Amino acid sequence: MTLTTTAREQTRAIHPDQQGSIERDGVRVSWERYGSGEPALLLLPAWSIIHSRQWKAQIPYLARHYRVVTFDGRGNGRSDRPSVAEAYDDAEYVADAAAVLDATGTERAVLVGLSRGGRWAVELAAARPERVLGAVLIDPAIAFLAPPHPWWTYPFDEQLDTDEGWAKWNRHYWLRDYRGFVEFFASEVFPEPHSTKQIEDMVGWGLETTAETLVLTQLGSQPASREEMEAILGRVRCPVLVVHGDDDRLRPLAIGAAVAELTGGALVAIEGGGHCPQARHPVKVNLLIREFVESLGGTAR
Amino acid sequence: MTTLLSTREQTRARYPDEEGYAERDGVRVFWERYGEGEPTILLPPTWEIVHSRFWKCQIPYLARHTRVVTFDPRGNGRSDRPRDFDAYRRREFAADALAVLDAAGVDRAVAVTWCDMGESLILAAEHPERVAGLVLIGPPVSVYEREEEDYPFDSEPGTDEGWAKETHGYWLRDWPGYLEFFFSQCFTEPHSTKQVEDCVGWAMDTEMETILAGFRGWGTKQIDPAEVAALCPRVRCPVLVIHGTEDAQVDASVGADLAGELGGRLVLLEGAGHAPQGRDPVKVNTLVAEFAGLGGDGVAAPAPATRTWTRALRRPKRALYLSSPIGLGHARRDVAIARELRRQVPGLEIDWLAQDPVTRVLEAEGERIHPASAWLANESAHIESEAAEHDLHAFQAIRRMDEILIANFMVFHDVVREQPYDLWIGDEAWELDYYLHENPEEKRAAYVWLTDFVGWLPMPDGGEREAFLTADYNAEMIEHIGRFPRLRDRAVFVGNPGDIVPDRFGPGLPPIREWVEGHYDFAGYVTGFDPASLGDRAELRRRLGYRPDEQVCVVTVGGSGVGGHLLRRVIAAYPEARRLVPGLRMVVVAGPRIDPASLPAHDGLEVHAYVHGLYQHLAACDLAVVQGGLTTCMELAAAGRPFLYFPLAHHFEQNFHVAHRLRQYNAGRRMDFATATPEVIAAAVAAEIGRRVHYRPVETDGATKAASLIAELL
Repeated sequence: MTLTTTAREQTRAIHPDQQGSIERDGVRVSWERYGSGEPALLLLPAWSIIHSRQWKAQIPYLARHYRVVTFDGRGNGRSDRPSVAEAYDDAEYVADAAAVLDATGTERAVLVGLSRGGRWAVELAAARPERVLGAVLIDPAIAFLAPPHPWWTYPFDEQLDTDEGWAKWNRHYWLRDYRGFVEFFASEVFPEPHSTKQIEDMVGWGLETTAETLVLTQLGSQPASREEMEAILGRVRCPVLVVHGDDDRLRPLAIGAAVAELTGGALVAIEGGGHCPQARHPVKVNLLIREFVESLGGTAR
Repeated sequence: MTTLLSTREQTRARYPDEEGYAERDGVRVFWERYGEGEPTILLPPTWEIVHSRFWKCQIPYLARHTRVVTFDPRGNGRSDRPRDFDAYRRREFAADALAVLDAAGVDRAVAVTWCDMGESLILAAEHPERVAGLVLIGPPVSVYEREEEDYPFDSEPGTDEGWAKETHGYWLRDWPGYLEFFFSQCFTEPHSTKQVEDCVGWAMDTEMETILAGFRGWGTKQIDPAEVAALCPRVRCPVLVIHGTEDAQVDASVGADLAGELGGRLVLLEGAGHAPQGRDPVKVNTLVAEFAGLGGDGVAAPAPATRTWTRALRRPKRALYLSSPIGLGHARRDVAIARELRRQVPGLEIDWLAQDPVTRVLEAEGERIHPASAWLANESAHIESEAAEHDLHAFQAIRRMDEILIANFMVFHDVVREQPYDLWIGDEAWELDYYLHENPEEKRAAYVWLTDFVGWLPMPDGGEREAFLTADYNAEMIEHIGRFPRLRDRAVFVGNPGDIVPDRFGPGLPPIREWVEGHYDFAGYVTGFDPASLGDRAELRRRLGYRPDEQVCVVTVGGSGVGGHLLRRVIAAYPEARRLVPGLRMVVVAGPRIDPASLPAHDGLEVHAYVHGLYQHLAACDLAVVQGGLTTCMELAAAGRPFLYFPLAHHFEQNFHVAHRLRQYNAGRRMDFATATPEVIAAAVAAEIGRRVHYRPVETDGATKAASLIAELL
């Protein structure tokens, strides 16, 4: 399959009211702010194979109701692409998120995180509860809570004698045929029929960074055991909503279910949904986020 | 103190789980608690002109989601009636509310009020720990001075026009006249006859002297502006004000100002009057549920921890079928239509929102009954409670079912929010059709309406009032359809144009037949079975255990419990009939809601409870004796059997619509219960039994036709 992607960004539905960047240890991270309603929502980045445009179907709607802050994760978009692995530790992304909250004058926010962004949201909520009103975790990439898919077996670092399927999840293949990897990955992210546009978008965003950068993101440190992860989840005090596709080829639904259970949150399973429902089922996800944010107010507001 | 209610209370959709009295200074206040859960919703009274029944459209819905506490005001309902002015001050009402919360064991509640004269402000400001939120519907209190009334209460205006009726002198002269006027000013919306009648009835549940004791004009009835101004800043809980823009009692600007003073949200209901909780209950219920944070995505129970949303293209085609639950009349035809629909639309899944006795048929047929059916308030029980001896005022019985209808619509509303359907089918599902047209934004699927009659018709002895009421109901229906012509994606008349009565909808309204022909598709009659499929009648009789030489008379009164009197009368005719008809075998089917053991026994007389496949017995018999219900009569017409039918007195459908249709088929012999002594019945049995009949054939493709009309939407 050949995909053509155009470098020029397509017309946005709305443009940011404010943009800027923060700098930490010489790494610049770009943020955008849309709208001004209360409460504030921080839409976190995910893996650096994509950037803040991943939220393009959410921003115009949510910004009509709330103040919405996004930022490009280090490694893609308009943020820097540091060349050392330590710069891609979970702790760096979480610190970036906190710095963006500071820079945008956002005292407290509802966090919305997809995939790895879901993990960072949990880490931020656990570490800085005073900054977090609630968290929406979409297909969170949280290891250890459930067995990985059976196809997730190939060693990342070793030279393989095949490029078939998930054998592409391999640094040597990435460096050899980066585009081939991004196309494969995007097609796995969107198993739903008729997802050509979402796949093209993702491939386009993926090609805005490099195989070398993505390899570094894989080497950054993250929670290393089930105990460590559960301890972090146990520290989350805010309301949590997990949204998870039951056809997520990357992170099985059982992970989302476990996250909901461990945080006392609610789970909405998307039957037939893949890893990125915010792009493939934007209306449903938008309404779920809105409903969740409104539920934080209720009679108590 | 004994309180006699002036009119018999209509069937409630739900009865309290707990009730009791709270007593303060020797005055007892009656409270009720419904349901369980948090937050508690307190539905306090307004002033003593009405009592807690004015929340009847809210209680069944809210109590399905949470705990609801309501109480009667001192001065009305089952509360005491002190006769001194000071006993009716608003602080007393606030103290009563606290006492009721204490008595019901409620720490904290969301107070939802109608026409609150200040007591809830006192409660929320001075007892913030007890009030989690405050909803004010049509509040009259203000920080601004009230305009002087045109006619002070103690004045003698020299006229009885308009608000001149709100004077001491007029009250003494014509108290009911004042009440009629007063509540007509509460419900300024067209077609509000039932709401006005209800309120007048509740006002008549107390005495004018009691109201008079507590009333010296509005200036002293509600708290004064200075007190409102002092209380408002102290109210810290969330506030929602709901106000109709056509409120003729309290201008909407009063509610808007109060929302401003309280820093609360304001929802204006455009075109609504002073009491939207009675006239626009679906909207008010959903606003209250949303404000109180009930039930997540509108689901019946508190939002479950896990929900599933299925991608649109992954969903099987699904229909939700609402079968009219009064009696068994519609169950068989609806099952036939459903079966045919599944044949025409492979893979279609059908859920039924249905109640007893329809569910018995559905269970026997292996149909899927939606679990939320358990929440439905029973219509058959209500209809039975409305019936006298072979007498059922069907129009009034359905009017007096308004509380059940709104309760059941809210069940439907919860079901379709939780589960997307492609299609809703309502076979004379009045709650669905009515409240959808009142709340058209709630339509979320294709919708098919089925009926076998159109037009409420007055009984002659109902006089002008009933003629007016039926015409008003028809007019509202015609306006609904005219204004929202796409709401019913299909309207299917179960029958033929000739079956439509030759009447008009009412004075100045169109002829029924002409209008129906313009707004409906015609499926022909749907019997629910093909007489040909029963095969040879002699063989059928053998299979059912009827001997060739027997003269079999089947007596049945349908599925509701209304027919007991007719059964007894026919049983009383049995000895004489047996004398006139040698070898007579009488088979009485009591139906699912009449206990066979409650009927007298005779030799040679069989009494059965519910009989599944009763139509086979009707096809095999030599004579049937039945009520005037359409389904059974038409099954007999289709089977070509002679029958006697007794329309229920005051049942407009049986007396007019069904009788007219049977004349189209030249079927059946009409009897009058009032004049049919056992001797008359015995003679009619003897004359009709075994007679060869010449009926117009009943079509056998009605279910297929109806299903084809529906299938196009899938």
